[in-house]
Amino acid sequence: MSEKFKTVLKYAFLIICTVVSVFPLLWMVIAATNKSVDVIAGKLSLGTNLVENYRNLIGQQPLWGNFWNSCKYAILVTVLALVVSSMAGYAFEIYRDKAKNMVFSVVLMTMMIPFVALMVPLFQIYSRLGLLNTTVGFILPSLATPFLIMMFRTGAKAFPLDIIEASRLEGLSEFQIFFRMFMPTMKSTYAAAAVVTFMNAWNNYLWAKVIMSDNTTQTMPMLISSLTSGYVTDYGMLMLAVLITTIPTAIVFFALQKYFVEGITGAVK
Amino acid sequence: MKRKLISVFMTVIMGCTLLAGCGSSGDSAGTSSGESTVAMENNEDAETETKEADTKEADTDGDQTLTVWAWDKSFNIYSMEEAEKVYQKDHPGFQLEIVEVGWDDMQTKLSTIVGSGNYDQLPDILLMQDFAYQKYCITYPDLFQDLTDCGIDFSQFAEGKLNASVVGGKNYGVPFDNGTEIAAYRTDILEQAGYTVEDLTDIDWDRFIEIGKDVFSKTGYSLCSVQAASSDLIYQMLQSAGVSTWNEDDTPNLVGNDVLKQCVGIYKTMFEEGVMAITNSWDEYIATFTSGKSCGVINGCWIMASIQSAEDTSGLWQITNLPSLPGVEGATNYSNQGGSTWAITSNCSDFDLAVDFLKETFAGSVELYETILPGAGALSTWIPASESSVYSEPQEFYGGQEVFSLLTDFAEKTPSVNLGVYYTEANTALATLLANVVAGSDIDDELKIAQETVEFSMQ
Amino acid sequence: MKKNKLTLSKKQNLTGWIFLIPAMALIMCLSLYPAVKALITSFKTGAGSNMRWVGIANYARIFKDTVFLQSIRNCIFYLIIQVPVMLILALILASILNDRNLKFRGFFRTAIFLPCATSLVAYAIIFRSLFATDGFINTVLVKIGILDTAYNFLSHATSARIVIIIALIWRWTGYNMVFYLAGLQNIEYSVYEAAKIDGASPLKTFTHITVPLLKPTILMTAIMSTNGTLQLFDESVNLTFGGPGNASITMSHYIYNQAFKGVANFGYTSAMAFVILIMVAVLAFIQMKVGDDRE
Repeated sequence: MSEKFKTVLKYAFLIICTVVSVFPLLWMVIAATNKSVDVIAGKLSLGTNLVENYRNLIGQQPLWGNFWNSCKYAILVTVLALVVSSMAGYAFEIYRDKAKNMVFSVVLMTMMIPFVALMVPLFQIYSRLGLLNTTVGFILPSLATPFLIMMFRTGAKAFPLDIIEASRLEGLSEFQIFFRMFMPTMKSTYAAAAVVTFMNAWNNYLWAKVIMSDNTTQTMPMLISSLTSGYVTDYGMLMLAVLITTIPTAIVFFALQKYFVEGITGAVK
Repeated sequence: MKRKLISVFMTVIMGCTLLAGCGSSGDSAGTSSGESTVAMENNEDAETETKEADTKEADTDGDQTLTVWAWDKSFNIYSMEEAEKVYQKDHPGFQLEIVEVGWDDMQTKLSTIVGSGNYDQLPDILLMQDFAYQKYCITYPDLFQDLTDCGIDFSQFAEGKLNASVVGGKNYGVPFDNGTEIAAYRTDILEQAGYTVEDLTDIDWDRFIEIGKDVFSKTGYSLCSVQAASSDLIYQMLQSAGVSTWNEDDTPNLVGNDVLKQCVGIYKTMFEEGVMAITNSWDEYIATFTSGKSCGVINGCWIMASIQSAEDTSGLWQITNLPSLPGVEGATNYSNQGGSTWAITSNCSDFDLAVDFLKETFAGSVELYETILPGAGALSTWIPASESSVYSEPQEFYGGQEVFSLLTDFAEKTPSVNLGVYYTEANTALATLLANVVAGSDIDDELKIAQETVEFSMQ
Repeated sequence: MKKNKLTLSKKQNLTGWIFLIPAMALIMCLSLYPAVKALITSFKTGAGSNMRWVGIANYARIFKDTVFLQSIRNCIFYLIIQVPVMLILALILASILNDRNLKFRGFFRTAIFLPCATSLVAYAIIFRSLFATDGFINTVLVKIGILDTAYNFLSHATSARIVIIIALIWRWTGYNMVFYLAGLQNIEYSVYEAAKIDGASPLKTFTHITVPLLKPTILMTAIMSTNGTLQLFDESVNLTFGGPGNASITMSHYIYNQAFKGVANFGYTSAMAFVILIMVAVLAFIQMKVGDDRE
């Protein structure tokens, strides 16, 4: 009886959290079907303006081109960032010594300065290296983030050292240990990191807008910013764009979340 | 597996190249910071040339392409595209590359570019908000090009508008859209309370409050609304009497500015009496008049596009002038909010072409203005255009009023004021003041704080 | 044998550095080098790229800047309330959702993660309309009798700050939950089953197994959230516009305004940025000392 009550309580709590979490998304869906006037008036029922909003949106902005740009950048950044940052996080933990700990502290410090202060010097560097208006320049700052390194370092703390010892005895090189042992074993950490990195890359906006002066490289967040910067904002159209922008991150999360629960022990055997 | 290794390898290479590049650039940074601006400019010129060479390679007719930054697809970008078409008739090889850059992003980009000294990243032409013109022109004297003697007849523009882009007697831009102040009212609601738009024309704020109170008690509608985080309405009131927030010597004129104090008092009274609704954000502000909480709008005429988004109220709106400040010398019923101007940057690849383009279009084509007025509601400040018949066309949405010729008339009567280099700082300080005054603080105390805040920013 | 091991560890040490090269090269060029340049700038003043040395004047100026001091107070207020509440809530959700017998786990997880993927533009509008005078929250509070008349939350200092905190918790709880879920996989599930058989209450399992074993992850999220809150920007800009007055403005928002909205003085803005760095670094150091008992 008491057990049953607890279960009910648990589900009730989860359902409340779900409703609160999902409500804005539902609101976005509803808003995307309404006229601008109704959206800001707070109308909460489905409208009939979806097709019209979509037509206006593709008439005004290169929606799918931008969507494709966003996909390209986000996937590229996610793959590269996971490799680069996990190597660093692994090294900081597995080969830890005084010097590396010092370096790690410096890495952490760079995360603590507001980006606003780094923009001007970074722009100078970009200009000198010819990285302005380039895709490489766009993705470079996202590849090695202190946050991801820290996340993989924390993850590596749970990596059983006996696996490393055993692999060394079997004659695997240090790189082989990383790629063949660590990577598959830490699936849950990689999955979580992939979701977060994808999301950040997908939403990356400020720096991209500063270094890119070219319509063809526009991404979804820039498109949304364009929609809100005119003298009149069409909120129905805006919400449709926002909805389309939100979906990929949600899909990536849903696809990867099952790896969070795949335990470390299962993968090792 | 192999792919992973390759990508790792690539990143390592990329990283190493970067590291090497950084080392050398670090050295040059050390020396260049000590160099004079002239030397840096030379350096930039060299870079610009290489960039031009690149563009030439890309286009067969690279000479004829200009890059433009602007921010509204259905307004100024549309107008620029139409201007391109007009100019292309006589100059078939001419082309524009218009990049959509929102105003906030534009400020971030401009600050980063000028802060890092990379002027070669500027476009040929950019659109600039009138209120920020003084700031950019005076703070960064080598950002925009002087257009005074380039052959454009500036006397054909409305004087109040033109002043925004004039610094030290020199012209730094070609005026584009008009920010003439309007007061628009819902005639059906006013009628319920027993008033017409006539009753709200050529009045002062005292009368406005009187009517407003009556309308509010009879219908529940406020007569106007504002956004809490801005002090735009105060600026509009001040400009209507030609009063500036700056003294002749560019020191802030807030403490002891009786007109300003009066405006703040009117603002507070209007809020307390329900005459004016204060909203927390822009979308709520729009909603006050598109979905019926407020039966009037007082703002720059570009707000009309938002009013018109409430299609079901078509025919119910009418436009008139704004109330004047009672008992103030030089008070009028005309003011201005916003508006923008085209500037040619110091990085322009072909100055003569850019000048000729603007001269033939925004400063010389009635045809262009006849297209963009109905097409985007872009109201010109170029006087010859206002004689066009398009301007006297009755507008259905406003009950058949000849809105555009009315606005042109307003524009000519608007006093001009100095918004100052530190306009944004003063505007923010006054917004804070308004929030605190509405919450019950003493106006004089708050004026003192605002003055100190602005003086602090100017240090 | 021992000698052999030493050279081996030397070799491993070197491998460690090779692993670090790509990431370190990027961070040095794209973060550290600009940071050093910004530090140098913070001792200069002037508009644009035309600057002159002023020593520590920019740092001295901070203590006279009433708006910046206000923004520091605001950020600390957010930090003290929001971070603990959010992390505890995330921990609870993660431990519930880690239960293999729970139905619709994937759905619940995705739903609770969704807020941080939701576009800021949309949720700012929603939160403002929810907390508006005639909004949903007011309607409910008046109906159940907590409030007599509707209250304009965003136009009063304390309530505006609380709206920001609620928005932050809403947006980032699911995000932090992800790290805990990933961290929980490194704990043998059998430990839980054993605890269950021993008859340990869920609360006991939570405080005696989950929390201690997740300690490194909790430490990491605590540092990240501290950093995130002290650099908070989006909510202040989009939700309250720093208002009413400057009652809810954050440090990063103020720095952004100073750098890009008004007349830019990058010397002063850099100095303010380094104040944030010092604050976060000190707090992170304390958290590491408290949290990391391995050394």
